[in-house]
Amino acid sequence: MPSVLNIKKGVEEGLQLFLESLLREKKVAGVFTLRKINEEGAAAYTLITDPEQMQQAVPLYPLMPMNAGKALSSYTLGGASELPLAAVVRPCELRAFTELIKREQGHRDNLLLISVSCGGVFPLSSLSNGTLTQELPAYWKAAQNAEIPTFLRPTCAGCEHFLPFQADITVGVMGQKDLDKECNLFLNTPKAEEMASGAPGSITSGDLETPEIQAVRKERAAQRLKLFEPFAAQDYGLSGLVQTFAPCLSCHGCSTICPICYCTLCDFDSKTHEYQPTSYSIELDQKGGVRIPPGTLFFHTGRMVHMAVSCVNCGMCSDVCPVNIPVATIFSKVGDALAKEFEYVAGRDAEEELPLGTYKVDEYSEVGE
Amino acid sequence: MMEKGKPTTQGVKHKNSFMSASYPAEEGLPKAIRAVLTKALEGKVFEALMLPLKVPKTEAYAWTLLDDAGLLEYASLLPPVMTVQGGKALSELTKHGELIEKTAVLLRPCEIRAAVELFKLKQINPDNITLISIDCPGAVPLSAYLADPEKYNREFQEHMEEKGKEESLRPVCQVCDKFSLLAPAEVIEEKEGYAADIHIGFLGQKGKQLLLFPLTEKGRVMVEGLGLKAESPAESWEKTVETMTAARRKNRQAVDKDFLSRISGPEPFSEVFDACINCHNCMRACPICYCQQCYYDSESVRLSSENYLARAKKRGSLRFPLDTLLFHLGRMSHMVLSCVSCGACEDACPASIPVGQVFSLVGDQTQAAFEYVPGVDRRQPLPLQAFQEEEFCEVEIPCECGEGQPPSEVNKNA
Repeated sequence: MPSVLNIKKGVEEGLQLFLESLLREKKVAGVFTLRKINEEGAAAYTLITDPEQMQQAVPLYPLMPMNAGKALSSYTLGGASELPLAAVVRPCELRAFTELIKREQGHRDNLLLISVSCGGVFPLSSLSNGTLTQELPAYWKAAQNAEIPTFLRPTCAGCEHFLPFQADITVGVMGQKDLDKECNLFLNTPKAEEMASGAPGSITSGDLETPEIQAVRKERAAQRLKLFEPFAAQDYGLSGLVQTFAPCLSCHGCSTICPICYCTLCDFDSKTHEYQPTSYSIELDQKGGVRIPPGTLFFHTGRMVHMAVSCVNCGMCSDVCPVNIPVATIFSKVGDALAKEFEYVAGRDAEEELPLGTYKVDEYSEVGE
Repeated sequence: MMEKGKPTTQGVKHKNSFMSASYPAEEGLPKAIRAVLTKALEGKVFEALMLPLKVPKTEAYAWTLLDDAGLLEYASLLPPVMTVQGGKALSELTKHGELIEKTAVLLRPCEIRAAVELFKLKQINPDNITLISIDCPGAVPLSAYLADPEKYNREFQEHMEEKGKEESLRPVCQVCDKFSLLAPAEVIEEKEGYAADIHIGFLGQKGKQLLLFPLTEKGRVMVEGLGLKAESPAESWEKTVETMTAARRKNRQAVDKDFLSRISGPEPFSEVFDACINCHNCMRACPICYCQQCYYDSESVRLSSENYLARAKKRGSLRFPLDTLLFHLGRMSHMVLSCVSCGACEDACPASIPVGQVFSLVGDQTQAAFEYVPGVDRRQPLPLQAFQEEEFCEVEIPCECGEGQPPSEVNKNA
């Protein structure tokens, strides 16, 4: 049972206090967390170095303006952080960061990774249509009661990995009674215990894996299956794919925002995929018609092949799609199938090797000679 | 602002300048447009067409290059939404050289303008292409349309019948004054430099007929190929276009004034982009942003972790992703002289930032400073490619032309 730092403050205030104390005590040089940026409720990830500014931090604000794994990757791409830093990220963001580290796109050393038993986030559109500010109290109530509110991102409602893997500290949110009075920080690693020593609050012990958590995991698993229902392979098929991706503008926003798609220049944006006049002519001859720009579906299936095994179901891709394609649902479904196939869970363990980065002689012999 | 003593760009003040051929539209405008194009394809005036097709069993439209007249059944020649900006689609099609098939492309006026800019930027090869422009009733917002196609199809239909509500259109369409035949006075006088080869008009015709205005040799070939003759003046069309243009300009002035007052100054301006998540959808949807790799996506903008921390310490905090505002300002300085106010960027923004309205407003003012109107005259060089010795001498030191003052003098006076 891990030790728990119990702070007698509301969960967000308590966490704020803890982070501020880390900065003041100079245990960290900076805190990477969400910060409100306007009255309409927009928030952005921010690296805070001034303890005074911690007041404006909203570390548990249920919005994901970008997958923080991507931000931590850009921060540590050139090498591990020179100075210690604390980062508050959601479980899927931590998983994305882990996957990026495996791809040599980041470093974990010198980072205190704080995650949360996650109640999910609102879709980005809820910011412009006002749902977020309106439903915020209901969100916290649902988190406290370990329920799944209707206004979450669809991928969050169906997310089973809402307890983080390999976080130094887990902030207890889901199913934690008295969220408005108590902040429980589960100290999972020696580094966490060291950081928490001398911090405001008292040390107790506890377990995150409660019956309530197990119940909501089950419920979320059911939601997940429901989410996948319209995309059942036998009824959906190729024509289903064509129809789903029909409105695609080829803006590639899904790829730009995806934490796993780290390539500086995507293959599908490269010359390889540009058509010459003769290519159009040949396709016209063969099919009578060519979609312009060409290769819309090829891009999505190709991107899927490149990254789906590491898909962490964060849902950024769906949120950013200007034509409302349920990209994340489809990628999650395929990701699940791959996870099962390779006995792999994206971002579960930094030591676990990427399925396509390992070779096993006796693997998939049924598809060989 | 933009007009600044310049003649109209829609040519409507030049009565009877344009001769048109009429095509009956008793069965509705979409059918008439389809009939014209089918006839042109079957009559081998063209070997292929690039048109928006409705993807079967969906409400989505996709640009399609086709040579099978059977596929025209799915064509929606003027869809209620702008999907991929047509100029951008045409660039995809022709940037690597002349198309093998003789092809006609039907575009909205702002798409034609983007195509002309892309031609100037060497991203379009127009050699085997006939550009057809069409009177544009505007477009409805893309994401709202996809959420409720039935409603927005109805709204759009009303616009086709010239009785639609302006507020159902995208904001940039509500203030668009270049929705018809594009031709500044110089082009009309010299009969050269037309943006489109042929224009299809239907405004003010009560849905009874299409008017075909051949503007170039390619346009004349098409009209003749259809067995038509362009010999009638189009007074009712000109009058309608003129009235609508005047109303839109008035509206534009009012809207611009209000919008400008709300976004002027560093803080209000940066607040507009507060919710930006750096997805760069705006840039990807923009027809003018043709770079294969944007500078702001390149290695040049990468920092080391010490740099991040150093920047954070300057102000006590540093927002991630970095430099979202710089991206918008940089993109603006790269492309705004060619901005055609098509609104594709705004349609593509997942954070509902009025990015199209901002760029359109800045575009108007910047373009006016260069006396440049993007995409209406194929001959007019891009302002940053044309050096004029006498230009902007007020920012030169010393100032020799007598116009304006050097910055040092301005500062003294202030």
